[in-house]
Amino acid sequence: MFLCLGVSLMAFVLTHVVPGDVAVANLGDRASSDPVAVRLYREHFGLDKPLPVQYAVYLGRLVHGDLGESEQSRRAVRTDLAEYIPATAELAITSMVLACLLGITLGVIAAVRRNRLSDQVLRVVSLGGMSTPQFWLALVALYVFFYRLSWVPGSGRLDAAVQPPPRLTGLFSVDALAAGQLDVLVNSVQHLVLPACVLAAFNMGLFTRFTRSAVLEVLENDYVRTARAKGLPELTVVFRHVLRAASPPILTVVGLAFGNVMTGTVLVENIFSWPGIGQYSYRSATALDLPAIVGVMLFVAIVYILVNMVVDILYGVIDPRVRLA
Amino acid sequence: MVGFVLAASWLVIALLAPWISPYDPLAQGAGLYQSPSTGHILGTDELGRDVLSRLLWGARISIPLAMLLVGLAFTIGGTLGGLAGYLGGWVDELVMRGADFVFAVPTILLAMAVVAALGPGLLHAVLAVVLVSWPGHARVVRGLVRTTMQSEYVAVGRLLGSPTHRALAVDVLPNVAGPVIVLAALETGNAILLLSALSFLGLGARPPAAEWGSMVSTGAQHFEAWWIGVFPGLAIVTVVLAFNFLGDSLRDAFDPKAIIKARGA
Repeated sequence: MFLCLGVSLMAFVLTHVVPGDVAVANLGDRASSDPVAVRLYREHFGLDKPLPVQYAVYLGRLVHGDLGESEQSRRAVRTDLAEYIPATAELAITSMVLACLLGITLGVIAAVRRNRLSDQVLRVVSLGGMSTPQFWLALVALYVFFYRLSWVPGSGRLDAAVQPPPRLTGLFSVDALAAGQLDVLVNSVQHLVLPACVLAAFNMGLFTRFTRSAVLEVLENDYVRTARAKGLPELTVVFRHVLRAASPPILTVVGLAFGNVMTGTVLVENIFSWPGIGQYSYRSATALDLPAIVGVMLFVAIVYILVNMVVDILYGVIDPRVRLA
Repeated sequence: MVGFVLAASWLVIALLAPWISPYDPLAQGAGLYQSPSTGHILGTDELGRDVLSRLLWGARISIPLAMLLVGLAFTIGGTLGGLAGYLGGWVDELVMRGADFVFAVPTILLAMAVVAALGPGLLHAVLAVVLVSWPGHARVVRGLVRTTMQSEYVAVGRLLGSPTHRALAVDVLPNVAGPVIVLAALETGNAILLLSALSFLGLGARPPAAEWGSMVSTGAQHFEAWWIGVFPGLAIVTVVLAFNFLGDSLRDAFDPKAIIKARGA
């Protein structure tokens, strides 16, 4: 709650104090040279009032769930967000699942085979994932898999000829499955694969590195030796004993990595014409659309807090000591 | 080792660019869209400029700026984090809550908002990246300072009445330097990524400047001529990879646990 207030205040002050002229940015050249148009615009969005008043008005609306009106789309920011969030959610969740599965598995392999060839190879792969600009990776992936090989459809969430499935969650693949429209499901998954993989690359590298060091730390413990001495199969030792003990730090990183995903979506969505929050925030930021920017920031901050709250709860599930404390 | 060699060679390239690049990076003399050949090893772009020369000159933009902004972010974040860790109390509370706010908003959103408000341009982009990256340094330094503070020699120093700035500089700083260097290496890589991303979005370097991010963005508009965008991207990858390798091996050299703990992870 406190954090939300802080984020909204920071975003608000930041975007209002800076010297850019909002009216000029949004009205276009002709209209902004007309003083009457500028004055009407300012009055409509309450920009003629002093800053503290603007913030108080904004907060007053906020507690009613009203994020204001986007200066670009001329719709309620809440309506805009509701439209774009599912697209980003579908992309972000898919990429997080991919990154977790791959990153944690590879990290375990690297730790178990420490300093051998596979560890060295994985080191290059994971650091490579963390070192590659996502916008560049997205372009190269598009060039190779769409332009050259035509393995995947280009941009967007569905082919132009395909009708979106009836809205249930807004996640096309889930909705299509629920409606039993297999062709739509296949099409949406085809569109989803490439951007999700590109988005997953950075976090996959991050998770691999962290899993490796967390697992290495646990592997030194006596109880691991005991488990091995008992004659347990190595797979059981690693996945039942070691990975469980190593998971709290991994979880923390996964929670923090949601921020990376949002950064990635701005770039990836712009390149793949994915109609989500990332594209929306880019459009709003370049147009200085203040209510939209603050709305997106607030939404993302809330998601970030929720994700990290879930992570805290999961600590207790994994580690009984946390539950008691 | 690999990281060190790679990073060093990029530094040399940045220094020597005017002498080793075969053409003027802004000269539009050659034919347009020439694919890589012996005359133009990496081809020419949509205005007939030599891609290799632009790429080499680009090192003079990305690398010094990344170092500048990591230096700035560290000075701000390190000082605030050091004070927060040393003084505790309301200073700690204030700095850390401030850091939390920045952490809760994805870096690029905040950076985009700042740049959009100030107007696009490389320096504004640098400012924006500094603004979003100081909390990372502040957190690490605070964590390290707090750990060091619990050791007895700092307590002795305090008892003997050494002033805050002296205690921080003489007793605490040498003991946190190692992990901080590692962090700086890793952060330099991230800074280059974020800065080039802003340029890619058209919020950083402006044409005709030979900046890697904006070169990739040009390449995105000329898909058939893949060399325009692919090579500058590769340049970013190798530079960032160099700093990440460097940080990774330095981390193994210093105490790895200290850093992971201090990063809050």
